[in-house]
Amino acid sequence: MRKILAVILCKLGRAAGKLVGKGSSLPGKLALKICPDILGRVELPKHIIAVTGSNGKTSTVEMIASILRADGKTVVYNEEGSNQIEGVTTLVLAHADLRGRVKADVLLIESDERYAAHTFRFFHPTEFVVTNLYRDQLTRNGHPEWVYDSILPALHPDTELILNADDPLSSCFGRGREGVKWFGLDRCAIDLERPSGVYHDGARCPVCRSPMEYDYVHYNHIGAFRCTNPACGHRKPRTDYTVTAVDLDRCELVLDGGTKLSLAFPSIYNVYNILAAYAACRECGVGEETAAGVLGSYLLKNGRMQTFRLGGHHGTLLTSKHENSIAYDTNLRYIAGQKTDCSVLVIVDAVSRKYFTSETSWLWDVDFDQLNVPHVKKVVLSGRYCSDLAQRFSFTELSNWFVTPDIAAAAAELKAAGDEELYVVTCFSDRDKLLAHVEKEG
Amino acid sequence: MEVRILHVYPDLMSLYGSYANIAVLRRYLEGLGCAVTVETLAPGDDADISKVDFLYMGAGTEGQARFAAEDFARFGPAVKEAAGDNAAMLFAGTAMELLGKTVAMAGGEVYEGIGLASFAAVQGKKRLTGDVYGHTELYPEAVVGFMNKCAVISGVETPLLSKVEMGWGNEAERGPEGFHWKNVFASELTGPLLVKNPKLLETVAAAIYARRGAALPLERPGDEWAEKGYAVTEEQLKKRVEN
Repeated sequence: MRKILAVILCKLGRAAGKLVGKGSSLPGKLALKICPDILGRVELPKHIIAVTGSNGKTSTVEMIASILRADGKTVVYNEEGSNQIEGVTTLVLAHADLRGRVKADVLLIESDERYAAHTFRFFHPTEFVVTNLYRDQLTRNGHPEWVYDSILPALHPDTELILNADDPLSSCFGRGREGVKWFGLDRCAIDLERPSGVYHDGARCPVCRSPMEYDYVHYNHIGAFRCTNPACGHRKPRTDYTVTAVDLDRCELVLDGGTKLSLAFPSIYNVYNILAAYAACRECGVGEETAAGVLGSYLLKNGRMQTFRLGGHHGTLLTSKHENSIAYDTNLRYIAGQKTDCSVLVIVDAVSRKYFTSETSWLWDVDFDQLNVPHVKKVVLSGRYCSDLAQRFSFTELSNWFVTPDIAAAAAELKAAGDEELYVVTCFSDRDKLLAHVEKEG
Repeated sequence: MEVRILHVYPDLMSLYGSYANIAVLRRYLEGLGCAVTVETLAPGDDADISKVDFLYMGAGTEGQARFAAEDFARFGPAVKEAAGDNAAMLFAGTAMELLGKTVAMAGGEVYEGIGLASFAAVQGKKRLTGDVYGHTELYPEAVVGFMNKCAVISGVETPLLSKVEMGWGNEAERGPEGFHWKNVFASELTGPLLVKNPKLLETVAAAIYARRGAALPLERPGDEWAEKGYAVTEEQLKKRVEN
């Protein structure tokens, strides 16, 4: 009875929420109050795919959903990104009948990494993808090993893990488990010989703390790692799904030595998200051709890249999560890899859109020296924390940076002069403060 | 003046921009005309602590700190002797916990610190995070920073921040934070601490000078951006304290 009541109230709450444009976690919260173990009482689809990790969750989930649908499967997933237990409960009950049966082939869940164990207390995924684990939103996450310890209890022995072979930390989830499927990149043209960035999370083995070595590195500390302690043996495992070649200039990658895919956005991140989605879908029985067909023409919907015009400038907004140095580093690497003259605008106004904090230690984890290339003509620093940014920049090799605290004034100054390309590096929390002053494209 | 800085375990204890404490101190001292050398110590390496003007260890994960403690135990007697002889030191984040008697990990294991201080750290399964606004006895301006820890530290007799108006202290919210004895500074605050607090940077530099029997020169280099950054954060956090 409580189950039926919880389902009905959740459905009603969801419908009401949609009418007034409210978030999707409240109905689930209500349902959990009425029936705390509701997620253990529902009948779920045969496949339950969960995706978690520091970066790439939303993009990977989006791609998985598109591939599965192209394969003719019905998919239920949390498109609105409510990725804690309340949001997942809303999602499940909104798609269930009154007897609690979810009529779909696949339940696809983007899961908050810190709360995964809570979410999967009453049911467990059949496939669990962990994209990566590194420094991300440390104000709420503590540190990557803390997140690792939070995820660990969420990994049921019967769940098939789909893990990133190139990440020294999240790959530890696969130690001692059988049947893990690994995705990763072979040595590629874009590789580096050693870890990049201003800190070295790949310096020591996360298992035994001995020094690690790398055969090659794709970005930061992600690559072919190898612990130097023979008794430990932690190293990049052999991959089941592999990107065997990447050409970011030509926007191409090669899957498993055969299938060539074009990249809508030439970022190394995008390569990993595509690969993770491909691996998950193949494990759910989707054919190689169908998966590759969708991914080859895939344009992300989440709007992390927005192009615009500002005066004589053609601009690109590269959304980078504040408090996530690798997200910043990847976008800075993209800018450094361009050929034409450009200006860069970096905005840090609200560190987070969800909570207030003055924590700016993450600025010291970002490798801003990547902008020290001839085609970057000028860097403008703006927003409430522009002085923290300026102090950080004063410790780089760059000298062509300027500070304009007010974002509108920074936009006006850029609009008034110049026609070089403009790259804007900022977070979801601050992007609209700039977009309000530009003419958006597409 | 020649200043020797020893950065202990920089690759291991590197969370929350820890290295930046050394970067700003180095530039500040060079601005005063000092010839600064920064040496690093990796686990297993040897070092002569008695010849060091400033010893620094940054924040690590609880697991990294556990590993660091094992190696750092070799230097315990030398670090205590140097501290007693007024050598300047800063232990940031989990490094602070290694100065005390014991560290109890969340899983139950208890290991020893170097016993420079009599406090004990007990790590838990809850993360204690949030902005911090407080005051030290060392100067009148507020200290700002961010707390990111899981340990309760009890038995600190001489805290660095005697008053915490907002955020987590050693044992409780709005309780004293950090540790200060002679020229040893320790705090779990990040930001990083010396970057976020120009006045504390000056105080640490003064401690290095004092051990050499000198006072800081009257003319000192200013850091416009550090001062402005501090002012913004101080203002923001003060508003929250007052509301």
